[in-house]
Amino acid sequence: MKTILKYAPAPTTGRRYWRSLDELSDTPEFKEWLHREFPAGASEMEDGQTRRSFLKIMSASFALAGLGLAGAGCRRPEEKLEPFGKQPADYVFGEPEYYATAMPTRTGAMPLVVKSYEGRPVKIEGNALYPGSNGSTDRYAQASILNLYDPDRARNFTQDGKAVSRETALSSLDELSKKITANGGEGLAFLAESSTSPSRARLQKNIALKFPNSKWFTYDAIDSGIHQRAATQAFGQSVRPVFNFDKAKVILSLDCDFLGGEDDVHNHIRKFAAGRKAGEGMNRLYAVESLYTLTGAGADHRLRIPASQVVKTAAEILGQVMGGASASTPWAAECAKDLIVAGKNALVVAGHRQPIEVHLLAHAINTALNGIGNTISLLPVEKTTNEDLKNLDGAATDTLVILGGNPAYNLNWSPKSKTVVRLGYYPDETAEKSFLNFPAAHYLESWSDAVTSDGSVVPVQPLIQPLFNGLQELEFLARLAGESETSAYEIVRTTSGLSEAAWKQFLFNGFAASKTESLTGVKMVQSSNDLNQLLANVKSITPSASNLEVVFFRDAKADDGALANNGWMQELPDPITKMTWDNAVLISRKTARDLGVQNGDVVEISLNGKTVSGPIWTQPGMADYSLGLALGYGREKAGRVGNGVGFNAYKIFSGKFIEAGATVKKTGATYTLACTQHHWSMEGRPAVREANLEEFLKEPTFAEENFHGVEPPVVKSLYPNPLDEAKKTALHQWGMSIDLNACVGCGTCIIACQSENNIPIVGKDQVLRGREMHWLRVDRYFTSDPKRKNNKSPFDFGADENQSDENQQFAKWIDDVQVVNQPMPCQMCESAPCESVCPVNATVHDQEGLNVMAYNRCIGTRYCSNNCPYKVRRFNFLDYNKRPLTELNGTTKFGVTAYSTTLTHKTDGEADILRWWKDPNSGMRTEDEWDLIKLSKNPDVTVRMRGVMEKCTYCTQRIEQAKISQKAKAGGSDNVRLTEAAGTVPKTACQQACPAGAIVFGDISDAASTVSTLKKLPHNYSVLGDLLTKPRTTYLARIRNPNPAMPDYHVPFSTEEYENASLAKKGNS
Amino acid sequence: MSAIFPKWTNWLPLALGVGAALTGVAVAAGVTIYLTPKYTRAGYQPVQPVPFSHKIHAGQLGVDCRYCHSGVDKSWVANIPSASTCMNCHNQVLKDDPRLALVRESATNNTPIPWVQVHITPDYVYFNHSVHVTRGISCVECHGRVDQMDEVRHVKSFSMSFCLDCHRDPAAHIRPTDKVTDLGWKWDADPAKAAQLQAVNGAKFVHDWKVESLQSCSACHR
Repeated sequence: MKTILKYAPAPTTGRRYWRSLDELSDTPEFKEWLHREFPAGASEMEDGQTRRSFLKIMSASFALAGLGLAGAGCRRPEEKLEPFGKQPADYVFGEPEYYATAMPTRTGAMPLVVKSYEGRPVKIEGNALYPGSNGSTDRYAQASILNLYDPDRARNFTQDGKAVSRETALSSLDELSKKITANGGEGLAFLAESSTSPSRARLQKNIALKFPNSKWFTYDAIDSGIHQRAATQAFGQSVRPVFNFDKAKVILSLDCDFLGGEDDVHNHIRKFAAGRKAGEGMNRLYAVESLYTLTGAGADHRLRIPASQVVKTAAEILGQVMGGASASTPWAAECAKDLIVAGKNALVVAGHRQPIEVHLLAHAINTALNGIGNTISLLPVEKTTNEDLKNLDGAATDTLVILGGNPAYNLNWSPKSKTVVRLGYYPDETAEKSFLNFPAAHYLESWSDAVTSDGSVVPVQPLIQPLFNGLQELEFLARLAGESETSAYEIVRTTSGLSEAAWKQFLFNGFAASKTESLTGVKMVQSSNDLNQLLANVKSITPSASNLEVVFFRDAKADDGALANNGWMQELPDPITKMTWDNAVLISRKTARDLGVQNGDVVEISLNGKTVSGPIWTQPGMADYSLGLALGYGREKAGRVGNGVGFNAYKIFSGKFIEAGATVKKTGATYTLACTQHHWSMEGRPAVREANLEEFLKEPTFAEENFHGVEPPVVKSLYPNPLDEAKKTALHQWGMSIDLNACVGCGTCIIACQSENNIPIVGKDQVLRGREMHWLRVDRYFTSDPKRKNNKSPFDFGADENQSDENQQFAKWIDDVQVVNQPMPCQMCESAPCESVCPVNATVHDQEGLNVMAYNRCIGTRYCSNNCPYKVRRFNFLDYNKRPLTELNGTTKFGVTAYSTTLTHKTDGEADILRWWKDPNSGMRTEDEWDLIKLSKNPDVTVRMRGVMEKCTYCTQRIEQAKISQKAKAGGSDNVRLTEAAGTVPKTACQQACPAGAIVFGDISDAASTVSTLKKLPHNYSVLGDLLTKPRTTYLARIRNPNPAMPDYHVPFSTEEYENASLAKKGNS
Repeated sequence: MSAIFPKWTNWLPLALGVGAALTGVAVAAGVTIYLTPKYTRAGYQPVQPVPFSHKIHAGQLGVDCRYCHSGVDKSWVANIPSASTCMNCHNQVLKDDPRLALVRESATNNTPIPWVQVHITPDYVYFNHSVHVTRGISCVECHGRVDQMDEVRHVKSFSMSFCLDCHRDPAAHIRPTDKVTDLGWKWDADPAKAAQLQAVNGAKFVHDWKVESLQSCSACHR
């Protein structure tokens, strides 16, 4: 039993934050969790081998290895250096190259700059040259590079289920092309995912001319096109709305998860954060929603109502804004007043899940407040003539051509045509049902173009030849259309119509010089009468336990299922639930009580006669009688990683994201969900500090060391810190500042870090054991209203013995909770507790203040991790890089080990022990996995093996690269210092990826650097600074901006709770 | 007891002690000699697929190192030149020599020549050539007098202490930046005077160029 330190007892020194219901409920399980230094089973072997038998086998192996050594000598193996035969111009071997390209999204594109080493792309960054961009990306873009190296991607051209050569497949395509040219495309239909590519649009037009009888269908499983359709209907011309969150002072989200699940999120986050700088004039966000989304987490006021009732609130607010003060709830009334005050600086957005009526209401409110042209810009777009998907089977009687997508999985499509031709990235559910399959090229392997959400044309430029001979979409279409020019490059070049010089500039910059300008003076065409008519037709549904509402949502990780085979995404904890490797049925506490279910119970949901089963997850802050189902899971043919992960909500999805009339039945089974939220609890210490704007303006230094009476312990170091001496000769001192006010918790930084630092995927089984490897985690704390609680500290371990788990899980105070996100990388303590306990000096400080890890010295005692108060160190319990992908998803039920042992496992039909004998580096991965995994690694960072501790390094490889470049440039001069003024200070991977700009890294010995400026702000604070660790990573406290007139106005729950707790304590003593 | 243990056993403890000591010395010596980089690395001289002589090119002809190893001052690695670089001269000189058959073939067909790697750092060491050669550390410090070798030979140990010797005292090794590829260069023909000049100028360069004496792990290990 470890000693609990008494000098920082939770109620007197910290706000009470809890990260899960179990933590709050203080169950025996949770207590055990907390008290174990490593989770149960984390240090035990679970493969059926006893330690004794393992030692026997290992000693025999070593004896054999010793013989081998004696025989072969200890000379190193001969290695070959194979230079170019012909030297490519301007290429320096060993130096990375950067190319501008773009990732196409459903309704736009993300301009990117991709880093390439020796011809293989290794890291994706945003294009900082792009006007308005801060060089950020989103998690989907960061993760997309792993798809490029996915061993399960389509490798073969297949015809009738058999692999054929590329030539055979292409000649079949030519034949098809001739046939449909002859009959004008009779019985021919295309089913394509939406795209903004001007080149594809051009080819599409050619196809329509050439094959006049053919039909073109566009579909997306997650349809974001409603924004454009609604705006087009509202304003009477073909337009797409662009939301300028940076100009908005008051924002109302009508079930619009613009910070999480909508398209173009990275732009929204950037603009939202720009308008939310702590201080006078920061924006205010109202959110009306049923799920707890990131937008709700970032909101100042959140109204928790079923998704099908959002339209009522929208109508109420419109009524108030228009002046017809109908009877209204106080929440809506005050919100409307605030919107009116903000006037043209107000912005109302409706979510893509909501029906078009809500969008029209939102546009009506924006119009009434004169926001059009200010907070909303309208971009003219070409009219789309989409066919209704209902007619697909009728149109495609002869041939159906499927471009991308996966309709067999997410559209419940089955082939009705004679021939189905498909261009797809995976041999997936749809490929199985298609006659002719063409492997598609990744966007990093293709020439194409796209239009961003704000109207710029951007090039999609390949960085690598298609790995498995994949076909590019434009080439495929051109061949099918019988075009004379089938090279994708030439097609894009022709579409652009640019001169040679302009074309080169276009590719260099990664965007076109001019962009589509937004329209001015557009008026809404609907009158208030039209709107009233519309509202009269809206059915108001009140969900209940027997008439549940189902909300289908885009998953934060798997997207629509396209990223289901992406291990990084599967292992990324969901931003709100912190769940990995699964989806669940999200319900509220009250719903769970009424249905008699609890976490992990598998239930069967029936909707419109269809059923699907999934495990329950009680989500604090969910609307009652609303079920949240993430789409994109339950794939059957996703690949080694994604097969059988979660359940497939598409089975009951009919295209409507919100549907009432569902019923739920308990199946009696239970299921284990791998959630990371228990891990590394802060035990109630004031890790996150927050205040309302008024308090902040009155007392800007509220978050400092004497935060609510927390006094730092009067302890001085006994010994001088060696860093103080080393600092004197160092050129820089690195530090980081994280703005909790800007962070929305999207998780892009986690994936960027994983991509940059070769962080392995560990699998569900290992996550359940608490062994996830993310160097940077985002802690999500829930805080609740103390008046609803019993004023007992959840961290007072003796207090709640008689409160059972169930009582707590159904307790009322979890209904309305606030969320705070806190990214937690290594804090780079100046006096680091981890260093003093390392017996082998494997973790020490360098002169620039970095707490560095020398992997080769590490012997894996894990003392450092035990002594780290921030729990940011990660240990390689297994050689994760050599583990087979098939074992990651933990589909063998929990309890049975999901990972096999090298002693019995076979790879490629050969016993692993034999493989190990032949080549100690062989691992348990099949040949095809191994080849691709090697390509995907960043050569600047060591790939760690089993038994080694690792952690965030502030991207030391980037720092060293920058210093080396500067020194090489300096040569025989003293111009060796990196300065922000010269733009030579590197960015960490998380900083570069962060759309909000919440993470700032730099030189704190330079008083003019951004990070120094931020650290001087009054609301800067250190986490657990009272431990005298002197962290180099500091935080800016979160400032909320609630409206004092609102009925739910309060100081942050955490503060109130803290005050109550300390008052109660004073009263007792 | 004497019936059980004969008299000679009195010597046993001493014999065992001496024997153990001798064995210890032998093992220590064996490990030191045979398992350290001084033995395992230094002296390595593989046969290359093309009989290229650095002695002729760099020594007698005086071709600058950077003519072929063009990336050495820009990149992590001192690249092995492509065959097309060789052909810049050898399409005129010795253009039908049978020893150059592989080079001609490589330049024509763009097939690589499989050179055998001589100098190598372990994967966990991130050694950067450019920052050393641009800041006055000569090639000779690590590679020896390559300009006097027909077949390249590994002469230095490349152990961690080898790196640290210089990192602890860069002033003893630094030289003017324009003399980096001049492998035979000395401050003076007289060794005593050269040493004295090195000490004075080395310290001056280290100070003037702000040369860091980097000894923390992050300098080489990521």
